[in-house]
Order: sequence, then structure tokens, then C-alpha cells
Amino acid sequence: MEFRFFEIYRSVEYLELLMEGILVSAGLTLFAGVLGFILAFILAAFIYWRVVLLNVICIAYVDFIRNTPLIVQLFFVTFGLPSLLGYVWPFWCHALLALTINFSGYFAEILRSGYLSIPKGQLEAAAALNMNRLVTFRKIILPQTIIKMFPSLSSQFIFIFLTTGVISEIGVNDLTHAGLFIDSRTFRSFEIFITLTILYIILSLIFKISLELLFKNTLGKRG
Amino acid sequence: MEDLFINFLGKPEGIIVSQLIAAARFTVYLSLIAFLGGGLIAMVITFCRVIPNQTLNFFSYSYTWLFQSVPLLMMLFLVGLGIPRFIGIDIDPWIAAGISLTIFTSAYLSEVWRGAILAIPKGQWEGGKALNLSFRQTLILIILPQALRYGIAPTISFLIQIIKGTSLAYIIGFHDLMLLGKRWANAPVPGSEPFIIFPLMALIYFSLCYPLAIFAKRMEKRSLKY
Repeated sequence: MEFRFFEIYRSVEYLELLMEGILVSAGLTLFAGVLGFILAFILAAFIYWRVVLLNVICIAYVDFIRNTPLIVQLFFVTFGLPSLLGYVWPFWCHALLALTINFSGYFAEILRSGYLSIPKGQLEAAAALNMNRLVTFRKIILPQTIIKMFPSLSSQFIFIFLTTGVISEIGVNDLTHAGLFIDSRTFRSFEIFITLTILYIILSLIFKISLELLFKNTLGKRG
Repeated sequence: MEDLFINFLGKPEGIIVSQLIAAARFTVYLSLIAFLGGGLIAMVITFCRVIPNQTLNFFSYSYTWLFQSVPLLMMLFLVGLGIPRFIGIDIDPWIAAGISLTIFTSAYLSEVWRGAILAIPKGQWEGGKALNLSFRQTLILIILPQALRYGIAPTISFLIQIIKGTSLAYIIGFHDLMLLGKRWANAPVPGSEPFIIFPLMALIYFSLCYPLAIFAKRMEKRSLKY
């Protein structure tokens, strides 16, 4: 019944592991977030423009992703797909793919509801000004949606970041993986999980603040 | 029920499907425990956040902030492994998973409900005051009935998050759909390959969550009508 945090801090090996874990966790999430946003952009566009057949597929995809746990998607991508299609990837690629799929589902839903929230009068005004659909989308719908939906997008990003610990389950050496390794060596479970929790909170705060700064310095100026 | 599935799907798929559905029961139980327990705590926290008392405001705010920031996975590890090892006791996975998910739920639900209360125009509070109603009377008679309308849809949506969150509880040995499915996927039985088992599990989770999602969407549309 005593705190022995020093068992973690005094070892250079453990500190290096944690540092590496931070970089892997943050990097993978960020990379998957960007890829997921691009994919979500395409999905939401198909749904918004009601492209024949594709919109039904995209709606089904988004609903399916949003209503199943990340960990099941992760296991399917990691263990199911490779044995079905016969490819071999390193673990982190599987994690990246699963996270991208997960991000894309949530982001697509946010973007879609953003597109739909633009008042009809604006679209009619654009039509009256003889703008075609693409220009209306690019000049009127998209900027307003991004500005309006940025808070939702950023909080969803952070919510998913907080669940990325599950990628340690497939052997990616992320922050949780480093923690579990140190735990198995030292048996100081309480100290190590408290440390991990604090690191996750700090990382999510850094993400939140930098996203806000990014928003303020780019799009926020217009809105 | 198992025979029915075996008749329909044959062995071993029938056995697997019936076992997975049986294990999904525990997923539902855990979600209900978390929802009810978390809902009770969230009520207290929400109340503390809206009453005009700075100390209670601060504590309830800190509670919400802290437990929204702690990843659910870390909460499970802490409650299921960290704290028991620290004090030197054994804890049942049911209790550990129940406690972690309850705390997780309470933090998010209190935020949702506070939002619903804040959505009520200030004039309603002032109207209550003008009618010489006490704070509690205003809250119960005027604000809450209206806030209910805004609150239901996001609460149901959050229930989906809880169901999805229970899939993490297998990490501390909680025996539910996830743990059983993972075992079957690892079993060297033809017909239980990962690319069959995991979509099946996803389908079960989906059939639990999707009706709630539809319901939430409908409620949301209805609340916007007024």
C-alpha cells in the first residue's frame, strides 16, 4: 500500500517505451483522422447528392460503422480480412485501416448533417445567381459546414483518440501497449495506469488546443 | 434454442450463433447496469451543476471533466487491475466492469442533461421567479418537463455508446459477447474463422444498437417540431 512511481521513472528503458508509445498513439490517430476525414468527405458528398446506388451503400456503411464497436472492426480488419484476401501487413497498417474506417463513419455523419443544416434560401439564392451545383457546394455549403461543425469534428476526434488504446490488443506498440509491458515487468499496475491516464489526458488536451488554434487561424477568421 | 439454430445452420455455425446470442445477454445486462447506475449519479451531478452554489458547481464540473477525459480503457484497467492490486484484494469482473462503465456513463450523461437544461430559455427561470416559485419548484415544475424533450434523443444516442463501450470489458475478463467471440475466432474449428465470427459479432452489436439509433433520430425530429 505505497506509491512507487519511481519504479517507472528511474528506468530509462521504460521512459523510452512510454515516449515511443506517445508518438505511435498520437501519430496513428492523427494520420487516421486525416485519412478518415478525406474518406468521410467523399462518403458525405455521395449521400448529399443522392448519387444512385452509391448513396444507399454509403448510408449503410456509415450506419454500420457507427453502430458497431471499434474493437470488433479492428479485429475484423486485422484477423478477418487478411485471411480472407490473403495479404500480409504489419500490425500498425491494420490499426491505421481500422481507425480510418471508424473515423470516416463518424465524420461522414457529422458532415452530412452539416450540409443539410444550410438554410434552403441560400441554395435558392445560389441557383438564382446561376451557380451550378459544384460551385454552390464549394463556395456556400462547404465553408459554412466546416465552420459550424468544427467543434463536433474536433470533439469526435478526441473521443476516438481516447479509445485508440484498443489497438494495443493487436500488438501495435502504442501508449497502452507500453503501459501493459511495464505493468507485466514491474507489477505496479496502479502507478502505471495512473501514469497512462494522465498522459492520455495531456495528449487529448494538446490535440484540443492545437485544433482550436488551427481553427482560429484559418477558417475561424471568416466565420 | 440451440437446436433450432443447429437445424437451420448446421454444425458448428448453429452452435456458434446460439452461443454468441446467449453471451450478448451479458452485454445487455452490463449496459443496463451502467445506464441505470450512471443515470442515477448523473442526476445528482446535473443537479449540482445547475443549482446556484459555487462549491457544488465546481465539484460537479471537475467530476464531469475528469471522467470525460479518462479513457474508458484506462478506467477499466484501473478499477479492474490497478486498484485491486494496490490494495491487495480480488475484484469480480462484473463489479469492476459495472463500476467503470457507471462512472463513464455518469460523466457523459450529466453533460447531456445539463445541455438539455441550458437549452431552456432564461425567461422560463425568470418567469418562475416572478411567480414566487422556489428554485426547486421552478426546476421540477417548469424546466425539467421542457428539458425532457431535448434530453431524450441524446440520451438514447448515448446508450449506443454504452453498448459499444461494454465491448472493452472483456479486457479485464468480463464474459460477454466480445470474449466469447474472440475465443471462437481463435478456436481451430472449421467454420469459426475470424472473417466469419467478427462480422457475425458486428451484426449482433448492430442489431442491438441500430433500433436505438432509429428511435433517437425519430425523437430528435419530434423535439425539433415544437
